[in-house]
This record gives sequence, C-alpha cells and structure tokens, in this order.
Amino acid sequence: MNIIEIKGLKKNYALGKTTVHALRGVDLCVEKGNLISIIGPSGSGKTTLLNVIGCIDNATEGSVRVGEREITALSDRQITDIRLHQIGFIFQTFNLIPVLNTIENVEFPLLLMKKQSKGEIRKKAEKLIDGVGLKEFAHHRPAELSGGQRQRVAIARALVTNPDIVLADEPTANLDSVTGEQILDLMREMNRVEKTTFIFSTHDANVLKYAREVIKIKDGLIVKEA
Amino acid sequence: MNLIIKIAWRNILRHKGKSVIIGVILFLGALIMTVGNGVISGMDLGLRENIINCFTGDAVIISDKQQSDNVFLEMMGKAVEPVFNAVDIKKELDKQNYVSRYLPVGKNMALVLNEDGGSMGHALLMGVDFEKYRAVFPGNVKPIEGRLPAQGEKGALVPTGARKQAFDFMNIWFIPEQETLHIANLTPEALANKDNLSLKRSLVLMGFNDDNSTSDIRLGIKGVIKYKALNHVWGNFVIVDIESYRQCLGYFSASEKAVELPADQKSLLALDNANLDDMFSDNSLIVKDVKKTAVPQKIGHFTATAVQPVDIDAGAYNMVLVFFKRGVQLDQGLKNLNAALKAANLGAHAVSWKSSIGPIGNMAVLIKAALFVFVMFLFFVAIIIIVNTLSMAALERTSEIGMMRAVGAKKGFISNMFFGETAILSGVFGGAGIITGIIAVKLLTLSHITSDNDMIQLLFGGDTFRPFLSAGDIGIAIVQLAIVTGVAVLYPLKVARSITPLDAISRD
Repeated sequence: MNIIEIKGLKKNYALGKTTVHALRGVDLCVEKGNLISIIGPSGSGKTTLLNVIGCIDNATEGSVRVGEREITALSDRQITDIRLHQIGFIFQTFNLIPVLNTIENVEFPLLLMKKQSKGEIRKKAEKLIDGVGLKEFAHHRPAELSGGQRQRVAIARALVTNPDIVLADEPTANLDSVTGEQILDLMREMNRVEKTTFIFSTHDANVLKYAREVIKIKDGLIVKEA
Repeated sequence: MNLIIKIAWRNILRHKGKSVIIGVILFLGALIMTVGNGVISGMDLGLRENIINCFTGDAVIISDKQQSDNVFLEMMGKAVEPVFNAVDIKKELDKQNYVSRYLPVGKNMALVLNEDGGSMGHALLMGVDFEKYRAVFPGNVKPIEGRLPAQGEKGALVPTGARKQAFDFMNIWFIPEQETLHIANLTPEALANKDNLSLKRSLVLMGFNDDNSTSDIRLGIKGVIKYKALNHVWGNFVIVDIESYRQCLGYFSASEKAVELPADQKSLLALDNANLDDMFSDNSLIVKDVKKTAVPQKIGHFTATAVQPVDIDAGAYNMVLVFFKRGVQLDQGLKNLNAALKAANLGAHAVSWKSSIGPIGNMAVLIKAALFVFVMFLFFVAIIIIVNTLSMAALERTSEIGMMRAVGAKKGFISNMFFGETAILSGVFGGAGIITGIIAVKLLTLSHITSDNDMIQLLFGGDTFRPFLSAGDIGIAIVQLAIVTGVAVLYPLKVARSITPLDAISRD
C-alpha cells in the first residue's frame, strides 16, 4: 500500500528574473513502512522533494497524495493539520524551540493536538526521550545539548505524534560520523519497531546501507530507484 | 494556553534587551498617559469647582435680546440686556426637576468716579441678593478686610483685583467702612506709595442707563474680599446689593411698583404741558385746595407702602445662574431648559457656562483638547516604536516561528504567542506605569503647586494644581493601554503569521 504517490511533480522557483526548475516532473510511489533514502548531489532537488512531500512547500505542477489526501489543493489550515498529524520532520539544523527544554520540545506537537491529557503527554514524551537515550537530559534546554543530542530530540519530537511518515533532510549532515551512525541506527530501529515510513535525504554514500530503498535524483528528476 | 504563556514568558526573558525597550516605552507611555488623564480630570473638576460652582452655574439664562452669549467677560464692556421677568423665570425653573438651584444676578459695567478729581476707573458689577448669593455659592467669597453684608444691607464687596485696579488707575485705595489701612494687604506698588494713598471707604459709581442718561450712586464698602478660587480671573467683579445695582444702572427696582394715582394726580399728569402757563394758572389742580387734599393723602400713601414686604426679584436682573442636579448632562440640561423657556414664552434662553465666560471657556476647552492631543501623540509614538521593535523581533525569530509552523503550529498559535508576549509586557510594565502614574498624581496633588498666571490657572482648573484620578480614569488608562497594545501588536502579528516553514529552512 502506497502512503505517498507523486505524479508529474514540478517545482519552479523565481530567482530574480530567471526561473529555477528544482523539480522537473517527478513520479514516485512510497510504500507504507518503508525506509527510503534520497540521494543526489547538492542542488539536485532532494530537499525540495522532501519539502513538497512534507507540506512545507507547494508544487508548481503535478499531484502529490499523502495518505488519502491530495495535498496540492488544500488550504493552509488543512496543510498544517497534515503536518501535525501525519508527518514528522527532522531538519538538517536540529530546529528546536530554544525556550523549551528537551521534554517540552518533544511534548510540543502533542500539546498542539490537544487530544491527550497532560499526564499522558508527559508519559509518552518521557518514553521517547528514554528511547533516544536522553533521559538524563530531559530538562536541558537545546543550548545545553550537543548536536547529536539535539538531533535525537528532533527525532523524538518527529515520532511523538505517531506520524505516518517521518521526513529527514540530511539528518547527519552536521554530525560527526559516530553520532550520525547512532542517529541512523535509531531511525532504522524506530522504523522496525513502529513501522513508521522514513524518508531521508543524503549526499553521503556511507549512509545508504541504512535504507531499504534508494532513490537517486539529479537535476530535478529521479534517475534511478534501487 | 499554559504552553503559550510559558513560551511567551520565556521568550521575554530570552530577549531581555528588546523586552526592556518595549517595557520602558509601555511604562513611560502608561505613566504619562495616567498623569495626563489625571491633569485633564483635575482640570475638569477644577473648572467645575472654580467656575461653575463658584461663579457661573451650569447654565446662564439671558434675555433673547442679548446678542452675545459672553455675558461675563465681554471685552468691549457691552451692556448685558436686562431681564425684567425673573419672577416668571423662577416659577418656570421651579418646575424643572433637573434644576438643583438658581440665582438671579445683575451684571454690567459702571465707571468708578474719582472724588479727588483724577482719572476715572471702571468696575464690573455683580448685583445680587447677598443672602441668596451666599446660599447658592457658599464660602465663595472670603473677606480679608471688613465683613460680609448683613441681610438686606446695602453696600459693596470690593475684591482685591478691583482694589488693585483702582489704585493703578486712580491712586485710590479702597478700605471697608469703619476699618483702618491694613499695611500687610497693600500691593508692593501701593506700599511704595503708602503715604500718598487716597483712602476711600465708599465707591462712587456711575452707571449708564438705557436712555443714554447716567445714574451716580455712592455705596459704602462693607468688605474687601478674595474669591475662593481663580481670584485672578474673578477679582474684578465687585459684588453689590441688587437694589443699589438697579439704581446705578437705571433699572426699575423691586420697591418701585405700580400704584393707583388719585384722580387729582392723574389730572395733573394729563395736563397738556404745551403751554407752561396753564400749569401755573388759576385752573391748575395743584394750586387748587392744595392744603386740604394733597398733603394728607401723600403722607398716608408713604405710611402704607413702607410696611409692605418687597419681593426683591420683582425688579430687573441681567441673568439667572442655574445649577443642574448631579448627573445631568450639560447639553441635555440646556436643551430641556431652553425648551421649557421657549414653551413658557419668557423671552429668555439659556447658554452654557462655557459660552457665558467667552474666551476663558474656549481657552479651557482648548487647553483640555491640547492635553488630549498630547496624550494621543504619545500613544502614536509609543505604537510606532513598539510596532517597529516587535516587527524586528518577529523577523529575527523566523527560524523558531517557521519551525513551529513546520511541526504543526497554526497561525493562530503564533498570533497568540506573540500577543501573549506583548500582553505580558504591557501588563507588567504598563501596569507599573499606571500604578506609578497614580502615585505621581497623588504626590502632585499633595505638593500644593500654585500659580498666579491666568493660563496656568486654567490648566490647573484653579489656583492650585490638583490632578485627580477617579476609578473611571484609571479604567480609561487601562483601556488606553490595552488599545495601544492591541494596535501595536497588529502589524508584528501579521509579519509573524506570514512566516512559513520554508522561510525558516531558507534562512538556515
């Protein structure tokens, strides 16, 4: 069963007077529970593709179906709902809320959802923080954590809502190799245990071994699926 | 909501510099706004106490023939039209349930004659029934020399301003009857000229009558007075008993009433005086039986009228000062009063106290408006600075806001977070500003700042600076602060709401 279906996806950016064709007609289907790596050189369109799938950017042309919904025609409010309920995002630069500590950052999406009690939310966040090995740092602010620790918090936050898809844009780019491997191990473990679909982009060939499927992208087009 | 407050509060602490800048602006804005409100309210209260309650009343009823509404301070000294039917006006006023009290008054100018033969001066006369005046304006005048007149007593109360003016123009120094010179009360100029002062215990007034004739009267000075407030403004109004006033201005007085003349006197008046010889001829009624008829009848007539009580209000006045009951709006009261006067066809109408004092009333309104504009200007400046600072703060937090949006925060959450921050700053710093403003107003009131300057006295609403804050004023300050906060946060909110997750990623 496909959780993502993309057909003829094009994305153009206006850069001054010129138009940059970031995606030139991408067709892609992603099965639920898969662990996919998108590889390609810088500027190939990896981040743009993840942003469109993650409802962070909109398509210029084509269709993008996430779960049961075609996302290209949705309102801002609906798109935000999809981001909150169906998608978890791990950014390259470990974007955390600086004024909240580790556990509060992880709780943040659940508090936005307003579906569970504070006790339940706290319990779930603690479990995930424990899962990513940051129990001792639960009350530390992002500024008091290392890069790897922050990325783990981001992973915990991405998973706390039990999303259908977790998108990670070069999650190891700013980490040393050991920490990067720990993060990828963690993602693979979560994929195995939680059956969450993971799509991560990278231009590091060493991390490909973690993916069950690799999609190569070049000049805005998928050139190889393996 | 807890999450929003938590984030807002921590963001305030995180961005201390900006928070302090916005906080200080809000503090100063709220402080100046509160003090400004206090000054405006104090001025309002002062004007009410010192002009309305001490001099004009809420409304002034004047003759329909009166051209200018400025009946008190007409610069050209134009005569105020007389009102001959004060008794009827009083009857009408008694029917109005929104009227608390009233006082018929004569007001006009008269020349002060110089018995020493030098130049003449002038005086603004207020003709009143002393007893009624004291009942309507209790404690309004205080004798610094002499005393207030007894009931029915004739005489004048000379205020310090009029005495100074008489000295400046005529070198005359008025003192009350049976009093000696009070050196301590002399002006510096009078003191310097002490040995040459011409002391006078009575006023010789010359009033101008409607028929272009004049009447001179001499009035004993019962007291030299100071008005309770705004003595600098009201200090030229000499208060005289109403009957003397009428005599001076050539109005008919209350004691002059219509009498039925005997037949012989009617005949005398009916004589054709074209031929003066007739008046002294044998046919003249005066010559005929004069000892038998005329003298006994005349004595009898005088004896009869002397014991009859006189209704003092039966004579002429120039205006009736009217006070409305507490809570009655001035405009509404005037409207009702004018409708009643018109319906009764009394040939008189009411004008507001502001109109009756002409330039001073306008000046008071202008000063109040200027203060209001100043406070509004402060609002505007505060809003501009806060808008600018908050907008910059929003843009600087693009990554944070964009990331919040990326993980599912709706625009409403961002709005609430931003508004929460501003509201906390406004509540803490603005609240402190309002409290400090209240304390400042109290301290200013207690400091008893006084001024002799006319303009500053108007700003003060009296001789003493007495800013005043009611609970309503404090409520208004809070509302004003809320409006400033609300307006100031609108544009930054728009900026913050427009930040997308993509903006955050692009910035990284």
